[in-house]
Parts: sequence; C-alpha cells; structure tokens
Amino acid sequence: MSGPKNHHSFLPIVLAISLGLLVGACQPGGEGPETSTDAVLMPVADDPTVSFALWFEVGSQNDPPGKEGLAFLTGRLLAEGSTTVNSYEQILEKLYPLASSYEIRVDKEMTTLTGRTHGDNLETFFGLLSDAYLRPAFNEDDFERLRADQLNYLERTLRYASDEELGKAALDELVFAGSSYSHPPAGTVAGVNALTLDDVRGFYDTYYTRDNAVPALGGGFPPDLVDRFASSIDLLPEGDPTALLPPEVKPIAGLQVLLVSKPNADASISFGFPIDLQRGERDFYALWIANSWLGEHRSSVSHLYQVIRESRGMNYGDYSYIEEFPEGGFRQMPPTNVGRRQQLFEVWIRTLPNEQAHFALRAAMRELAALVEEGMSEEEFELSRSFLSKYHLHFAKTTRERLGYALDDRFYGVDGDGHLARFGEMMNSLTREEVNAAIKKHLQTSNVAIAIVTGDAESLQKALVDDAPSPITYPTPKSEEILAEDEEIVVFPLTVAADAVRIVPVEEIFAE
Amino acid sequence: MFKKTFSGLLFGLLALVATAGAEGGIFPYETRVETLDNGLKVVLVPMSSGGLTAYWSIVRTGARDEVEPGRTGFAHFFEHMMFRGTEKYPAEVYAELLTEIGADTNAFTSDDLTGYHLSIATEDLDLVTELEADRFKNLAYPREMFETEAGAVYGEYRKNRSNPFFVLIEATRAEAFKKHTYGHTAMGYEEDIRQMPELFDYSKSFFSRFYRPENVVLLLVGDFSVEPTLASIREHYGDWQPGYVAPEVPEEPPQEKERRIDVAYEGRSLPVIWMSYKTPAFDPADVRLAASVLLCDLAFGETSDIYRRLVLNEQLVEFIGTQPPLQRDPGLLNVYSRVKDPEKVDEVIAAIDETVARFQSELPDPESLANLKSRMRYDFLMNLDTPDQVAGNLSRAIAITGGIEAIDTLYSTYDRVTPEDVRDAAQTFLKTSGRTVAVLRGAN
Repeated sequence: MSGPKNHHSFLPIVLAISLGLLVGACQPGGEGPETSTDAVLMPVADDPTVSFALWFEVGSQNDPPGKEGLAFLTGRLLAEGSTTVNSYEQILEKLYPLASSYEIRVDKEMTTLTGRTHGDNLETFFGLLSDAYLRPAFNEDDFERLRADQLNYLERTLRYASDEELGKAALDELVFAGSSYSHPPAGTVAGVNALTLDDVRGFYDTYYTRDNAVPALGGGFPPDLVDRFASSIDLLPEGDPTALLPPEVKPIAGLQVLLVSKPNADASISFGFPIDLQRGERDFYALWIANSWLGEHRSSVSHLYQVIRESRGMNYGDYSYIEEFPEGGFRQMPPTNVGRRQQLFEVWIRTLPNEQAHFALRAAMRELAALVEEGMSEEEFELSRSFLSKYHLHFAKTTRERLGYALDDRFYGVDGDGHLARFGEMMNSLTREEVNAAIKKHLQTSNVAIAIVTGDAESLQKALVDDAPSPITYPTPKSEEILAEDEEIVVFPLTVAADAVRIVPVEEIFAE
Repeated sequence: MFKKTFSGLLFGLLALVATAGAEGGIFPYETRVETLDNGLKVVLVPMSSGGLTAYWSIVRTGARDEVEPGRTGFAHFFEHMMFRGTEKYPAEVYAELLTEIGADTNAFTSDDLTGYHLSIATEDLDLVTELEADRFKNLAYPREMFETEAGAVYGEYRKNRSNPFFVLIEATRAEAFKKHTYGHTAMGYEEDIRQMPELFDYSKSFFSRFYRPENVVLLLVGDFSVEPTLASIREHYGDWQPGYVAPEVPEEPPQEKERRIDVAYEGRSLPVIWMSYKTPAFDPADVRLAASVLLCDLAFGETSDIYRRLVLNEQLVEFIGTQPPLQRDPGLLNVYSRVKDPEKVDEVIAAIDETVARFQSELPDPESLANLKSRMRYDFLMNLDTPDQVAGNLSRAIAITGGIEAIDTLYSTYDRVTPEDVRDAAQTFLKTSGRTVAVLRGAN
C-alpha cells in the first residue's frame, strides 16, 4: 500500500529530524582505507538489485575551527546538489522513474555515500552516482539552499523539536569540550554562518581523494562493475590527508552537569563517560552483554526500563549504550557508519516531569553502581547471552545493512568474518567472569558527565548541589517493595560540586 | 511452495513493471489465506528469509474506534496493556521467554489499526504462536499494573509535544473533524490521558469488545512450512471465542466551507502550512481515489513544478510534500510545507492554490504519469526484501479492508488511471470549500 516514496505517513516527523538522520558519529581504532581499489564486496548472486556505498575517511572532526559544519554541508552538496553534468533538478527527474536515490551520512569520523537500484537501471544510476562524487558543481543556489536547511536544523529543530536528541548532543558537548568531537556533525550556528563555497571546494579537494575512499558493492552486481567503480574513484585527485588522532578527552572530575535551560520543557536526561573499547575486542562483547541487561535499546526487559518505567511509570523508556546510537527515537536496531574511535558509555532517560528528574537520575545511577559493585548473576548473564545470541541476527537483514557493517569492519579493523560473525561467536564463548571483569574495568559512577534539558534549571541546580533528598509522589498506589526502594533512591548520594554545574540557555547551545 | 524465491521476486520485477495491467497482481509471493471457524483470518506468506519470520497480529481497531467521550488515546494505551501477561504466562514470564529467543518485538497504534509485531527465528515459531494466542485470548493484569502504565503513556505524550508536527497535526485534525473520531490523533488528548489510570474497568470492556478473532488478522511472513504452521495456529487460536462488537463511529457531515486556524508552538520553528482536503474512504477499486494518490506526487512531488519553483529555484520553502488518502473512513489528503520566511506564508499558500487550479483545469503530461506508475511499482517491489518489510507494507491494507487482495487490486487500479482521472480527482477532492488550512508559527 505504499505510494510514491515521499508519501509515507510518518514523513512529517521524519522531515522534522531529517537533518539529524544525516548526522552520525565516527571512529575506529583500526586501519583506514588503504588504496582506492581496496573494495568491500558482498555479492548476492540472485539479487537483481545493486547496493553501492562509498566511504570517505572524513567527518565533522575535520571541520576547521570556526567552520564547524563544513564536512556536513560538503557531504550534503554532493548528495543533494547539482553536478557539472546535471542540475539537481535534472538529477531528481532522472532518478524518479527508477525509484532509486543516493544519500549521504556525515558523522564525526565517517562520511558515507550510499544508494541502491535495480540492475536494469544500473547504467543510469551509476552514472548519476559517480557524477555526484566526481563532478559536484558546488553552485551558489545549492549552497544557499542546503546551508539554510542546516542552520534551521541547528537553530530550531535540534534546540526545540526533540529534547531527547538535544540532551544527547549536549552530553557530547560536555564530554568532548575543546576536542574535535564537541560539536554536532551539523556544526555550530556561527560555524555554518561563516562557511563559503570556497571552503566547501577546498574541503572537497583535501578529503575527497582517491586515497581516502573505500568503495563497497553488494547484491547482484556484474563482475566488471567492481573495476569500473574502482576506476571511477581513481579519477578523484590524489592526496592522502593526514589522519587525525582520536579526540583528546579531558578526564571527568567527579559529577559534571550541564543543564540546558529551556522554558516550559520537561526533563530529558543523558549521562555517561568515555570508554576505551572498540568493536572486535573481546571485552567489547563482554560489556555488550552487561549493557544489554542494564539498558538494551527499546527493550522492556532491560533493567533501567524495569526500574524507572515498568515499576514506577515515570516515562516512556530508559536505555544505555556502549557505542554511538543516533536517532534512538526512530530506530530499533543499531545504525551503521557512525564509527568512532572514542566511544561513550551512555544512559538515556526519556522525557519525564522536571520534579522527577533528580529522582530518576539517582535511580539510574544507583542501578549502575549496583551493577559495578555486584556484577551480573549467573541467571542474568545467561538470559542476556541467550537473548543476544539470536537478537544480533536482526541487526542487518538487508544487503545494504550488511554492506554498512562490512564498511564498519574496515573502519574498526575487525578482520576475519567481521563484527557480526564475531558477535555470534562471542555469545557462545564469553563467561560470566569475563563479563563481570569487564564491568569492573570499564564502568564506574564516580566520574560522570550529566546533561539535562529542563524547564526548571535553577531548582534542579540547587537540588543537585545540595544533594537534597528528592521525594517522589505517584498518581497511583505502589507496592511496599517499591516504596521501600524509593526510600533508598531518594537519598542516594550524588555529590555535585557547586562549580560543577553549568546552565546554558537553549538559544546559546551550539551557537559557536 | 511459493511462487517465486526471494531472488525470483526481484528478477521478476522489471517484467512486472513492463507488463503493468497484465494478468496477475503485483504482489509477487504466493499467499495462503484461511479463516478459522471463529472468524480469525490467517494470511501466510512463505518466502526465503534466512531463518527469520515476521509474526504480526493486526487488530482492526485504532483511534477511529474511540467513540466515547473522554476515551481518546485508549486504543494506544491498551496496546501497552497487551504486554501485561496472562495467568499462564505473567508479564515477566512472557518477556523472559521472548528474551531467551532474542525476539525483536514491538507494537504501534494508528487511526485504523493496532499492530503487534515480532521478528523471530523461524525455529521459535511454535512457542511464539502459543504465547501470542494466549495473550490475545487470556489477557489478565492487576489494577496496579494498569495504573502504573498510564504514567508511561503520559510520558510518551510529553516527549511528543515538543515536536511541532505533532502539535500541528493534533490541531488540524480537531478542526477538520467535528464528529468523526479522526478528529483526534492516536495519542489522544492530554486531559484524557490524565484520566486513564481510572479506567481499569473500561479496559476490560475494551478488550472484550475489540480483541476478538473476527476483528484480527494474523499475518506471518518467512521461511516456515505452511501446513505445520497452520496446524499450530488452529490448535492455539481455535478456541478463541468470537464476540466482536463494532463501534458506532459517527459520520462526519459534509464540509461546506473552508476552515482556517493558526496554531501556536511554544518552541522556535519556521512556519509550517498544513492543508487537509476531505476525501472518501479507501477503496482499492476506486479509480478516482487512486488517481488522487497519483495526483499528490504529480502536483507536489520532487519533480513537480511547484517543488522546482519553491524548493529549488526561489527557495521559499524547505520542503513541500503530501500524504495521500488511505483511510478506512472518509479522511484527509494532506499538503504541507515549511516556509523559510515567515512573511511569505501567504505567497506559498497562493502557489499551492495555483497548482491545484492548474491540475483542475489541465491534463497532466502522460509521460510524467507513466514515469510515476513505474516508480510506484519499483518502489513497492524493491521494499519487499525482508519478512518485516513485507508484513509492514501489507499491514495497513489488511487492517482497512480485512484482506490481502486489496494490494493487487490497488496497483491494478493505479495502472488504469488516465490523465483525465487525475484531473477529475483534482476537481472532486481538492475543493477549497472542503479543506482545512492550518499554519503553525513558533514563539520566535
């Protein structure tokens, strides 16, 4: 019953976050692309469609100071702008009857251009796609159109239309302050305002080079397409831009709090800290098991969800992560091509009343502290391990998704059969002792960054600094067990120094 | 067992496109449809799927059925209660069993349906069939659990209210429908959500009236064996007692005059225009209605004149788009746009009006119409890769019509649409007197 592509019923909501969808994150510890002919191939013999991906090792971390948003705008100009061969209008017309398109995701370290078409339309599609990365026109009209969209996203959509995404972006800013990771991939208001077409051209020339690109093909592509794709990339200029080091993260001293003050807002909480783990490492999968038990994304079984939503009905959901997971309100499974060499352990507490924010923060921190202290029981370990043994099969059902994972494997340097295969193996071989050791090694509650979007920043600041009890009342009766636990949560110590809380008015966040 | 393999589906795609209108429907998989004695319709779609199966229970009840005062949002709230367990499998046991098998489970509620969907390993199908049948037959939850869940639903409302589109659509619906239940969104009104903890007894009646086999379609897609699966379904669902009581959904009186509203948004936002035209109920064989779906894209899609003018050339708007009318009762065809300059809202509305007038007086270019038909068929067929996609793409048609046949009929109707039909649809449906125009403005 689907109509034309732009007719999906949830489009308005999707549109509202459309720029957000283009934002990713980045990072690997592994080797990057080596040569332009080093393609990732995932043939599916019977599939008459062809999936393309082209990864450039560049992202918002490469934005020059004062030009935050340059990587993002450059990427969008490639995917949503004219080429020297066709105007954007002509491109849309040519793609239209094919029901095909290409898109770009610009994250902190990765920029990935992707597309899919039917094999019968391969020539038309490949021609348009290769024009996009080889022959961008970078004309004034496209530049102004897309820059205005990007500014509107930063000034209005991110600040006002989704407090949850805002909270997560604020946490990044707090943790990564002063580093190449601090600003959202879409940049800052001042940065985007300062951009010129010459900046875009220069950025493209520097980073969109043959040595900085990894092509990937999936589905039923003809054998000669591999060489043709690689040859087209050889038409990009030479140049191997200096790889950046991972961002320098200053140690978090105690509990550091950023309150984004927004009139009339309810409270949306994100907190976390950097962890030194990557896909491929054994400890990464051990910690995944623990994290799944604590806060599996959108799982009603996970522990934070049980404590905050299920038992107390305070909000819609409560989750935790050990790697970047953008657009969490709109996706069920982990995204691809948001690789980052520096990951966060992150807890996301969905919107709840301001007067319950302090209690919810305490409840979540208390559960995290208990996990660190006690580890997982045999029963909890077995249940999570069993769950993930099959659940990970849902991560990549389509060729396009599997191609995304294959590129991520390249980013993270996961060799052999890749992350997804290793995931399955690890679920069979990890022990509870290893998981509990990983918890002790990587998780803690002493040094944590906390970002809260709230309509009552002053009261919350005072409550946090005073470590005042945070009593809670419910509209409906609760069991004695819950009420007894509440007595502990209400006074669970959270020591926040007076100078460790910063209030930022929403209209100032991501300003520069 | 099935007509085409996964790859065969896609191989056959171009042929299907090329033979639009030929015999045989667009839906490429063989299906097995059976109705149990109690009225439960079962649709099985076997396909090659790498060991995964999509298991959907489609309840043909949604916000549309919330006919009593003060009960808006209840279908959605009740969706949450369906995860609260039974005597045999209490909530925590149900959840633990699904966790052990790594199931991906969720549910949603819209105007016309409530969908419960699981993606599972096919080897776990027997267990899941038993669990799903049990909760649909024997749902039982304590009052305390019911009351607590109401708080979580209020939290969902809280997170939605910062989205300007949520605010705008909620206001537009209320203006466009004075009688019919499409006047409220599936989320419901805030004051009704606040009252939900008090509706424990009502929830029992809701379950008893709507969660009955005659009002549910079971849709399974994946690499299972048909006969054993059917046998398992008969075994577990066969004793589910019928008893569906259809609600008396009030009819919306004809709209005689244009309605206009201004919608205030407490955050900052560029102005958003939302125009809603009244349209008839979905009927896959209705050529004029099918033509209105094509009209949406021809008039306002990415290759339309107005898109070129307003988005690309003059850059007056960030985007412009449409939602075609696909609803069980007479509903809405929506045109929307986000305007970059608050001073230019009237100019954009005028441009939309000019576009409508042109499509009412002129015939669309036949080549554009042909391109659109090609695009729609490709689009449908290229999004049937996985069991989840297949089930998701079928669910709405099944909920509205009660069967899967609507898909083939609808695409066959699309194929028959002529330029004259498109003009006729514009004249019939895009009437100024039958529309509601809402403009959202932020507190800038």
